[in-house]
Amino acid sequence: MKAARILIAIVALALFLPLILPWSYAAIDWNHVRSPPFSGGHVFGTDSVGRDLLTRTLVGTRVTLAVAVSAALVALVIGTAWGAIAGWAGGKTDEIMMRIVDALYALPFMFVVILLMVVFGRSILLVFLGIGAVEWLTMARVVRGQVLQLRHRSFVIAAQAAGAPPTAILRRHILPNVAGVALAYLMLTVPQVVMVESFLSFLGLGVQEPLTSLGILVKEGADDMDMAPFALLLPGGVLVSALVCMTLIGEKLRDRYSR
Amino acid sequence: MAGLILRRLATAIPTLLAVILLSFLLMRFAPGGPFDGERPLDPATRDALIASYGLDKPILEQFWLYVSRLVQGDFGPSLVYRDFTVTDLVAKGLPISLTLGGLALMLALTLGIGLGIVSALRPDSRTSSVLGISSTILTALPSFVTAPLLVLVFGLTLGWLPVSGWNDGATLNLILPVIALALPYAGAIAKLTAASLASVLLEDHVRTARARGLAPVLYLLRHALRPALMPIASYAAPAAAGLLTGAVVIETIFALPGIGRYFVQGALNRDYPLVLGVVTLYAALIILFNLIADLIYGWLDPRVRG
Repeated sequence: MKAARILIAIVALALFLPLILPWSYAAIDWNHVRSPPFSGGHVFGTDSVGRDLLTRTLVGTRVTLAVAVSAALVALVIGTAWGAIAGWAGGKTDEIMMRIVDALYALPFMFVVILLMVVFGRSILLVFLGIGAVEWLTMARVVRGQVLQLRHRSFVIAAQAAGAPPTAILRRHILPNVAGVALAYLMLTVPQVVMVESFLSFLGLGVQEPLTSLGILVKEGADDMDMAPFALLLPGGVLVSALVCMTLIGEKLRDRYSR
Repeated sequence: MAGLILRRLATAIPTLLAVILLSFLLMRFAPGGPFDGERPLDPATRDALIASYGLDKPILEQFWLYVSRLVQGDFGPSLVYRDFTVTDLVAKGLPISLTLGGLALMLALTLGIGLGIVSALRPDSRTSSVLGISSTILTALPSFVTAPLLVLVFGLTLGWLPVSGWNDGATLNLILPVIALALPYAGAIAKLTAASLASVLLEDHVRTARARGLAPVLYLLRHALRPALMPIASYAAPAAAGLLTGAVVIETIFALPGIGRYFVQGALNRDYPLVLGVVTLYAALIILFNLIADLIYGWLDPRVRG
């Protein structure tokens, strides 16, 4: 799959290329401030204070992806646990738990995330915990639907008849069968979190200078685009390619597992 | 119908209260307060200010006071924009955000349903696969990337459209923000429409219409489109909510004085009543949209009425 290859390439470049590049993401090259690509050894050029844009884009990709994957994992854990318990318990418990999910859908999502950022200050760790804590709703719905179906399958009933405790059935029979769909939705959650993280950084509420993220780079590029459009195009291009690849992969996985 | 509305209202009120309580507590746990400016106020003035807004009372009493005023339609005073009540600010900002969101929703629906029909008309063709991929790309494009790009091309390079600002809602100023806001939703709607039309086209009533020799455009529009729009109706409610909250990004980028900008400013300045007012309003709007979507659903498919 082409999308998967491009995504792997982006991740590999972000992880390893900064190790061999001569510039650090915070180092300032006073001789080349806001210079265009390929000048003075800066392949992507430099930003408005003379920092190497290629290095910053790669480090920003790292930060953005790390934040996104961690937040998506938080969403995966909460969503799977919530959905599995609701689907397994059924009846009143299920009703109440899913009503809570419905109610949470009415939250103005972006606003809650902004509030969380204001409350927890500017720590990246809390940024992604906060985003993950808000992003788990869809995951819970999907997992619950799956568990509801699995509950009445004969292998689960057989395990129950054999006297297996519910925790063992959940672990041995239910979760492995839910894993495929959960993975697909994990793939689809990551780009959403990337967007939220980038947007928060764009507002100045996310990752703080001199550390950077793709959102901050897009913002800096946008502020400076009449002077140096390449500073917007390069990080923007990386961000868009990563998002498109992840969405394509996620949709493919979802179509495969939800049939 | 009346039963549905009543049942929705019964869950809406506790939901709203929970949303208000959550935001109330979050705001209060945030470090810093509304009167901690760059130049510290002298303690007596500060205490007097805090007392005059009732911020020295126990937190639950404050919450109770807030809710009981809210029921009477009073959102309270803004702590940072002195001389303005939150109602004033909301009344100024909301029309702008609603215009932006409403236009974007219309554009997204028109563009999305149109593209979906085109790709369903010629399934398995090159056109439909190109449209499929482009819809996915559209959904994955964040508006804070497309917005600056649009500005770069149409505002700065070509000079056709203004770069930012509201300008009393002039059409030219609206074009770029509405497009940037609508594109991801247009992509998602196009995909939904294409998929749902494709499955409706296999149903018996459509096959009958085809066998009668109706032209593709005719049986599509007359027989297939209405049932195929069902998933769109249920997508449109969260989409409308997303467009409203997503407008925060667009308002920031294009410097539009909508309600989202007041919210961001309010959150940064610890303007408690302003933040609470905006969150409450948005939660109420989202609940309202969901109700409308359910009503439209019943209109599109008489089977779910009852």
